[in-house]
Amino acid sequence: MNKIMKLTLVLGLIGAISGGTLAGVYKFTAPVIKAQDAKELQAGLSEVFPGNYEFKKLEIKLKSPDPAIQIGDVYTVKSGKNVIGAILKVSSPGDQAPIVMLVGINKDGRISGVKILQSLETPGLGANASNPHYYVNKAKKITFLDQFKNKKVTDPFVPKKDVIAITGATITSTAVSKGVKIAGEVAYSYFKKGGGS
Amino acid sequence: MKKYLKIIWNGISPSNPVLILAIGLCSVIAVTNSVKNALLMSFAFSFVLIASEIIISALRKAIPNEIRVPIFVVVIATFTTIAALLARAYFSSIYEAIKLYILLVVVNCIIIGRAEAFAYKNPVIDSLFDGIGMSIGYSWVILAIAAVRELFGNGTIAGLQVFPSAYKPALVMILPPAGFLVIGVLVGWLETTLKKKEAKK
Repeated sequence: MNKIMKLTLVLGLIGAISGGTLAGVYKFTAPVIKAQDAKELQAGLSEVFPGNYEFKKLEIKLKSPDPAIQIGDVYTVKSGKNVIGAILKVSSPGDQAPIVMLVGINKDGRISGVKILQSLETPGLGANASNPHYYVNKAKKITFLDQFKNKKVTDPFVPKKDVIAITGATITSTAVSKGVKIAGEVAYSYFKKGGGS
Repeated sequence: MKKYLKIIWNGISPSNPVLILAIGLCSVIAVTNSVKNALLMSFAFSFVLIASEIIISALRKAIPNEIRVPIFVVVIATFTTIAALLARAYFSSIYEAIKLYILLVVVNCIIIGRAEAFAYKNPVIDSLFDGIGMSIGYSWVILAIAAVRELFGNGTIAGLQVFPSAYKPALVMILPPAGFLVIGVLVGWLETTLKKKEAKK
């Protein structure tokens, strides 16, 4: 009995010291991490909606017509007082894990830009989706994501038809195209119903 | 002093954790597809290994034999979490790419193995040098593997273009199988060198 008490005490004490240390480190790094996240989000938003606009997070949930594709945070893009577009965070099932991306949509139903936030695609193949030096059109230096710019949400978004696929990565190409299309459609119908104004 | 140098050298070559002891290979394969990933992993690994060895060695008389493994795990987990928080705060883009493997340092057999086999039985200073030696041994191997794999698999080293852009990368090099290939070649090379040395003696 005595022995068990002693063992418990020692382990408990070490656990407590460890917990205390971690609490201290967490307190010290938490503000840095938070600032970093905010900075990255801001940079991501301005990347999919280039220009000097104001982004505002909306406290609404938009429903995706496709159960496999999920829509997360919704931001409106404002130029002065006018809402000129929206940015949606969507997650689309990729090759190994969901591809999480930001999709910017103009109010007139054109895609303004796409950025991949998280993905676990095969290096050298599917991972080229977010590679800034992998061009689907070498002559014009258009990357895989660039080709979605100014595309109408009513387009089919089918790789090898109106989307140039990444060589050897059909699953990734389709996943990204589908995600962008759904985000575009959802945002467009939201605007048409008078949302965001 | 000679004794400490010997401890360090032991980790670098004769008992190299990756090439000779051949433990903790899973994360080695995973993080060596680029030099940047390998570099951040080396820092995280060295920090956790050295800090854990020091603490465990300092506490070795107070740690009851029956519960030594849970205590090792608590100590290692604490330092791993610290390393992960720091990496997340200051190297967030690389951290995103390899976070899983940094968190898995907790169960990395090299660290728990050194805690059990060395730190628990030796004084603090010796353990410090063992930690340094093993860290150098681990880091040089994963950086070497990463350099080879990134060079042939992507034409770059640490993101800098080395081969002309006309070079068509050998994809297999950045996929997991090449990790085993490169490790195999390195193991063969080190084993033969060590054997030759012994034969000379």
